Amino acid sequence: MFRIINKSLKTGVVTGDHPDTEAPPELVSREAIEKAKPFRRSLTIREVDTGSCNACEMEMNALANPVYDVERFGVHIAASPRHADALVVTGPVTVNMERALKDVYKATADPKIVIALGDCAVNCGMFKGSYAVTGPVDQHIPVDVRIPGCPPRPVEILAVLAELRKDCPNSDQ
Amino acid sequence: MSDARPAVEQVQAAYTQAIAEVRTVHGIPLLRMRKQDLPTVAHFLHTNPNLRGSLSLLWAVDHRPREARYELCYLFTLAKRKDWLLLATDLHGEEREFPSITPHLHAAKWYEREIRDLFGLIPVGHPDMRRLVRHEHWPKGSHPLKKEFPWDRVLGRVQGQYAFRKIHGEGVFEVPVGPIHAGIIEPGHFRFSVAGEPIMQLEVRHFWKHRGIEKLFEQQQLTEAVPLSERVSGDTSVGHSMTYCQAVETLLGVEVSPRARYLRTLFLELERLHNHIGDVGAICNDTAYALAHAHCGRMKEQLMQLNDRLTGSRFLRGVNCVGGVVLDLSGIQLAQVEVELNALEQDFSAIEKIVFANASLTERLENTGILTEGIAWDHAVMGVVGRASGIDRDLRRDRPFAAYDVLQPNVALYRYGDVRARMRVRLDEIHESIRLIREVRRGLPLGRLVSQPMHQPQPGAWALSAVEGWRGEILYMVMAGEEGRIHRCKVRDPSFVHWPAIQWAALGNIVPDFPLINKSFNLSYAGNDL
Ligand code: SF4
Repeated sequence: MFRIINKSLKTGVVTGDHPDTEAPPELVSREAIEKAKPFRRSLTIREVDTGSCNACEMEMNALANPVYDVERFGVHIAASPRHADALVVTGPVTVNMERALKDVYKATADPKIVIALGDCAVNCGMFKGSYAVTGPVDQHIPVDVRIPGCPPRPVEILAVLAELRKDCPNSDQ
Repeated sequence: MSDARPAVEQVQAAYTQAIAEVRTVHGIPLLRMRKQDLPTVAHFLHTNPNLRGSLSLLWAVDHRPREARYELCYLFTLAKRKDWLLLATDLHGEEREFPSITPHLHAAKWYEREIRDLFGLIPVGHPDMRRLVRHEHWPKGSHPLKKEFPWDRVLGRVQGQYAFRKIHGEGVFEVPVGPIHAGIIEPGHFRFSVAGEPIMQLEVRHFWKHRGIEKLFEQQQLTEAVPLSERVSGDTSVGHSMTYCQAVETLLGVEVSPRARYLRTLFLELERLHNHIGDVGAICNDTAYALAHAHCGRMKEQLMQLNDRLTGSRFLRGVNCVGGVVLDLSGIQLAQVEVELNALEQDFSAIEKIVFANASLTERLENTGILTEGIAWDHAVMGVVGRASGIDRDLRRDRPFAAYDVLQPNVALYRYGDVRARMRVRLDEIHESIRLIREVRRGLPLGRLVSQPMHQPQPGAWALSAVEGWRGEILYMVMAGEEGRIHRCKVRDPSFVHWPAIQWAALGNIVPDFPLINKSFNLSYAGNDL
């Protein structure tokens, strides 16, 4: 017990111990911000991998570590699409995952937003044209926000999530 | 390496009639034979007490349009000195059938199914002829690695359903999980048959993420496919790109400079470090010990940021190139790395103590998900999973690449094969990686970063390469095509070998322990599905 407390005290708070993003995200459209309005204070995300190389997943996972601690912004990761407000999709959509992606989209309650994370999800990246890849995410379901990068850094993902849910002048906070 | 000679001679002596040709390919002895003799020779190699060959890789090549033949190659790692030995056979003209060796060698099971799916060649006598890579909705006759199959025409869709193995009986029911899972993990399907709590059977149905990577390689130039190899499995970017580069370097006759070799070692160990620390945290998390998970998550993040500072990529992408490494590190940077890793090692040791002082946690890890040495051997398991089950294999020691011939890593070895053993292997390797990085800093020689190729490879020339990535042995076979293109690139992530093995490790455990077992293996879906 003493050891644990000692360790925690020595470690201190690490949240926010990361370099900032350089460029402010210009990627979030007015419509997307408007659409995300109901989720400004709490956004529940379901992550769907449709054929990524798994680096994008790792960065999504990193959001939950103590350094980025995405929960402090009211963002939760849900275990089921039925509980989700937003789908984060990574990877090009493979022929084998196309059905699953559409099913997940249907299973997610309205209103919902779809975020395409990483170059693959945005434009198939390196896997463009392959016989086993049916196209980027927006070929199959409507996409509201696109986060390019291979993979995008966690700070960049955080910045987009913040931008998406930023205060509008006429909001009631 | 002529030291495999005695093995070759033994096989030759036993099967004088069968062997048509003996030669060496970049130092690896290759025995060519008629296809009908393959099963007996493979069986001999596998079971002979002097040889005890374990099947490391099995691949096929479509030689068209140059020659109308398919070639099958079987790579064996011999037990004693971990020498390699290749068996090869040809299917000429319209021949489409080859005898399956799976009845003799369990490890060939998935490889042969894969070859059937991707080339349309039929392993006669294979006990399981269901599709593996091709999901049931792929139209009949689509075998993407045949040369006439267009790389860029998206597959059509037909009706069809995979037949899972069924257990019948009172009270037996099935629990389907996936392809989309509860956490942030990759897609894959698990089908548990349970009666009460214990798992009676587990069947994994993967290849949801099949992106056609091997076909995509064939569209590239030898020297330009490094970025694609980094994206086979993102968490192993360095491991995969390094294996790919080494194979191409052998083909082009490039002698990589000592400095580049040392730097590659450094990057590979950095990759091992952040993955292993992440895994230790994830194992603790699956026993609901959030504290250790948080600490490990913090340290992993620290390492990823270090990677980013050193190379501009958190996954160390873009460091390897054919001929060496793209980027150099200064003395100051290396000193900083050492300072940071020294602090991290202390930090991590404190967490280790906390973890192992927690009886409720270690209790969960012990005797969970046991993979016995026998089963591990049958499946040709290696890497972290193998070393936790008494399989004493580590390419860094057995077939040294990069700077490991000088640095001489110590190999962790445990025997129990449970989750705890797999965690133990990782813990030992974390300390060893940090030690190796210190050694790299101490011994880093001066020299150029990129070496130039000596010659263009002949079309049809090929080379094998192997790297001990953080999961285990990564193997690449690269064959040159016309005008510096790739004719064939076989990619083998260790996950492809370990997924069939996990089906055995899960038996008798309760379903709620499966996530923990799965985490302790931590296999790549992307690297498996290709
Ligand atoms: S965008 Fe890059 S990191 Fe993300 S899945 Fe695609 S290849 Fe991997």
